[in-house]
Amino acid sequence: MECKIILMGFGSVGQGIANVIAMKKDIIKDNYDAELKLVAVADSSSSAICQEGLDEQLLIDTKKNKGKLSNYPEYGSDISGIDVLDAVEYDCLIECTPTNKETGEPAYSLTMKAFEARKDVVTSNKGHLALRFKDVIDAAEKNNVQFRYEATVGGAMPIINCAKDTLSSCKIESITGILNGTTNYILSRMTAEGSSYEDILKESQELGIAETDPTADVEGEDAACKTVILANSLLGVDATYTDVEVIGISNITSEAIELAKDAGYLIKLIGEVTPTTLKVSPRLVKKGSAYDVSGTLNMATIKTDLADEITVVGKGAGSIETASAMITDLISILKLKK
Amino acid sequence: MEILLLKRLLGLNKVIIVRMNLLVEVKDAPGQLVAVLEPIRGLGANIVTVIHKREAKNEQGNVPVQLTLEGEKENLSNVVNKFKDLGFSILEINGTLDTEIISAILIGHLVDENLQDTIDRLNELEGVFVNEFNIQLSEDNKSAALINIELNAGKEELALGKLAEICSEKDFLMINNV
Repeated sequence: MECKIILMGFGSVGQGIANVIAMKKDIIKDNYDAELKLVAVADSSSSAICQEGLDEQLLIDTKKNKGKLSNYPEYGSDISGIDVLDAVEYDCLIECTPTNKETGEPAYSLTMKAFEARKDVVTSNKGHLALRFKDVIDAAEKNNVQFRYEATVGGAMPIINCAKDTLSSCKIESITGILNGTTNYILSRMTAEGSSYEDILKESQELGIAETDPTADVEGEDAACKTVILANSLLGVDATYTDVEVIGISNITSEAIELAKDAGYLIKLIGEVTPTTLKVSPRLVKKGSAYDVSGTLNMATIKTDLADEITVVGKGAGSIETASAMITDLISILKLKK
Repeated sequence: MEILLLKRLLGLNKVIIVRMNLLVEVKDAPGQLVAVLEPIRGLGANIVTVIHKREAKNEQGNVPVQLTLEGEKENLSNVVNKFKDLGFSILEINGTLDTEIISAILIGHLVDENLQDTIDRLNELEGVFVNEFNIQLSEDNKSAALINIELNAGKEELALGKLAEICSEKDFLMINNV
């Protein structure tokens, strides 16, 4: 069986996908009898399209060395955006364009178009899900296609599939966790070094851990999108981004961290999801507790009716790490098709 | 108070402290009161009050001793067992009063926004008592404080609700326990 893939978005995660496909395609072929082929890959303004399949390493090299995928030898194209979906035959859309929590685009339109064409979709994009979760899920159901979005929450940390599949006998009562790696990194360093928020933020930006515009991370918006996705997907709450009470970490002072530390606590940006509460805010967590994870790690404690509490920890971001969650989603779809 | 204080200092902040009233009967003889109090030491309980009612001697010549003890549930239950082992007659184990301590960090213009008022408004609530307010001033004038509030059972929502209301009104960032 051939699995023809269109990959939309060729930043860090998109390139991670190309890398992981190159690394794992032989094993996937052996284990699942599926031959993965990237038939089209698009960056923000161009693409490379070839029905016979593109070379993963050449895609990465072209992007790195020549800036745009239109420079891909022979198959580079100026077709971009949603038109790419009309340019080639495909089975699955892997969508990792940047999150836009104001409009949910281009993820929403790309996903809807793929669904209407009866194609399966794997995404890492939070924007459309934080704004219109129910619309997207309903459309997938209506068109009888698979839609997977594990990578939207916690990167490589398994949470959505873990709760849905591995804990399928349980009702999920609440989820509480550290859902943003950048803020965890900043707060961890402030705790370890006693430095100010501004100094650590600046260093994090230099290290590429925080973005040039860090607002989405430090003001809790990214974590808030994730709480919405968890609420909808695991608790069955019909919530959207505006339902989340959000407080970020930009007002946390080194004095506050010191006081917390002296009393046996750490300050973490915590996302809370219950049937009645959606909240992201800085909270006190006990040193040595399950919430005591540092650096860019994410964690979440899932409270269930039968299994009590299950805690997962993992890398919340990173090119290969996030791609791992997406390829796992793709394999889940392949298993269903087998 | 040493044991509880030590636990608080060690950062075991959410120690569940139970207060228990015990009515114990002892012989009206020299050394009997000490004999009752002695075993409490070393079992992790603190004596809050002792009322020795010699005037209430009964027909058998025994007198009641009213004790109020404070400590973790397990330790208080050890005290009761010890009393039974020693043959003291326990007349009453009164309704227990659970207390706990919750912590929060506040960030804002804590002094300018009337510190005393912040504490008073919490203390006005029944069963709520601010037992620590550790403030650190900052260069940029936004200070931070650790507040420890002692609560009777069932008062957490009330106290946190009031604290949140004060913080919202005075533009403080409130960081409470997860």
